[in-house]
Amino acid sequence: MKLQDQWQFIRSNMKKSKSRVYMTVLASAMACTFLVVLASVGFGIHDTLIKDVIENRNVTQIEIYGLDKDGESKEIGDEEIKQIENMEGVKAVTRSKELAQTPVYRTDNYAGHGWTVVSHFPSEIEAGMEVEEGRLPENANEIIVGHHFSNELIPQDKDVNEIFDANGELLEEFAYKDSLLGKEISLTVSKETNGKEEEHTLNVTIVGITAPPARGWMEDRTVHISEELLAEIEDFTGTVKGAVHESEDHYVSSGYDRIHAYAHNMEGVVDISEQLNEEGYYAYSPAEELKNINVVFTIVKAGLIFIGTIAIIIASIGIYNTMTMAVTERTPDIGIMKALGAHPKKIKQIFLLESSYIGLLGVLIGIVASYIISFIANIGLTMIVEGMFEEQLPEGFRFSSIPLSLVAITVIICLTVTVISGSKPAKKATQVDVLQALRREI
Amino acid sequence: MIKVNNISHTFYLGKKGKETAVSVLKDISFSVNEGEIITITGKSGSGKSTLLNLVGGFLRPTEGEIWIEEKNITTLSEGDLADFRLENLSFIFQSFQLIPSMTAYENVELPLVLKGLDRDIRRKRVMTALERVGLQDHASYYPSELSGGQQQRISIARALVMESKIILADEPTGSLDSETEQEILAFIKELNEKENLTFLIITHDEEVAKIGHQRIHLHDGEIMKEGVSV
Repeated sequence: MKLQDQWQFIRSNMKKSKSRVYMTVLASAMACTFLVVLASVGFGIHDTLIKDVIENRNVTQIEIYGLDKDGESKEIGDEEIKQIENMEGVKAVTRSKELAQTPVYRTDNYAGHGWTVVSHFPSEIEAGMEVEEGRLPENANEIIVGHHFSNELIPQDKDVNEIFDANGELLEEFAYKDSLLGKEISLTVSKETNGKEEEHTLNVTIVGITAPPARGWMEDRTVHISEELLAEIEDFTGTVKGAVHESEDHYVSSGYDRIHAYAHNMEGVVDISEQLNEEGYYAYSPAEELKNINVVFTIVKAGLIFIGTIAIIIASIGIYNTMTMAVTERTPDIGIMKALGAHPKKIKQIFLLESSYIGLLGVLIGIVASYIISFIANIGLTMIVEGMFEEQLPEGFRFSSIPLSLVAITVIICLTVTVISGSKPAKKATQVDVLQALRREI
Repeated sequence: MIKVNNISHTFYLGKKGKETAVSVLKDISFSVNEGEIITITGKSGSGKSTLLNLVGGFLRPTEGEIWIEEKNITTLSEGDLADFRLENLSFIFQSFQLIPSMTAYENVELPLVLKGLDRDIRRKRVMTALERVGLQDHASYYPSELSGGQQQRISIARALVMESKIILADEPTGSLDSETEQEILAFIKELNEKENLTFLIITHDEEVAKIGHQRIHLHDGEIMKEGVSV
């Protein structure tokens, strides 16, 4: 018997008991909807948290704070950095020293402060830094600035109350609009000795502007200076990294302030972190945080799916009942088919297909309904929470999310349960006694 | 073509553990050649239906062997027996055994669907079979819309469509009036003569029994010949 004929047979049989089949499909659909919507809450909150972690940080980045050598904290130097660079899966190790004061940058009639660092450009480029305009510095007095550095610059010949709006934002008309590339600007640092403040100005040329950060809401106003320039500033201030006060010297280290290792991919981050920890480094990565979040949410989602599965098992009782009644009602037909030569396996297959068909219809309707409910919940619940509790939910917050994996899990659970619930009636169909079914006299 | 060797059959009736053995057939042997009509007669309870059920593979004999087309069907599994029936045996039942929810066409088509034949081949063979029983115009009728004689003709068409050489008939005219009975008997004879089909017919009707080339009379589960058990 061909599969196509079996479908034909099943469909015509199902038509005979339409209302019963509809109710069973409805029960299966409701159970599937319950499972999907319930689990989708776990998926939705999980997605939101992951999005939050990923959006705020680079997930392939590992922050390295320091090194523990024989119980004592040690500064990370070039030797250790080389060791980290040689670790398996490490793409680049960026390191930078921060100027211990915020210098003033001036050009034309504009001035502004800038977070100033000495970066190791080869590793920065390896890690993904891009120079959008210009080139990397080649001389001591050449610098490159972040994409949004010009936002730091404000006109000096205007009244402060005039150039800012009520929110403290610089009005568009007073923003620095010229290109900074190739511009010579002054860099003024200061020092304080015995309560007396002194300033020292250096002239530097902007030779490059970095590309904007990947995330639109981020701003890069960093100024990258050379080692030589830092040394000149240190000479002037007489302090490590150009600290304004001598007293600050104790708190400022001469080593790198920021060391970041970059993995080729997110999967490699955990391995590198483990390796770093084994070697005594203090390391942290968002991937580890993600790992912990994933563990917790995998358990939560598994629990929710388990509860939803109970609903499907309850619905499967309906399928069992429907199939048992179908076998009982069709006993004479089964008897005739067996008398004509229908193989028991085929009869079993027909009833299993019928129960699977009911399950499949249920799961399809259930999934469509789940997507609709999920869509409404994401809009409606956000409005309710914001309206009733006056709480502003994070941007992009989702109560419910239905990924394809959840759909696949639901289809598998639903079909497995329906096949199991249909298997006993199907077996019963194969055991129909031909003679009794034909009501013969023996 | 059919060889029945020393078969006996006993039913165990009653509650489990307190069953009573009822011997229905005792040491029955006979053989049927190709193109022969064999009629088996006997009173109610003589074991004739049990004999047909054994030959049809619906029951397994307590003792003895049944050979059909060189195959000992008593040793076949249930699945193999189903396949064997589909390929080699056709049935005509007293109460027609048509599926009420299927049209005449679908009832006749059913064995071919079970065989897994293509739709076009099925259509051709079903229409030919319906034409042969003269009911090609009734293809879309449901059994409840047909008379007893017409239903039996549909049942015969279903047997013919299988193109098996052996047809087992259980009281084929038992539910029909005498005029229709004559019609059906004439048709069986015609099929036997023109197409060399082998018939094993169970009947209590002497008129039907007369068409048999070989006649077996059962009495209390034994073959009788001129009042003496054989």
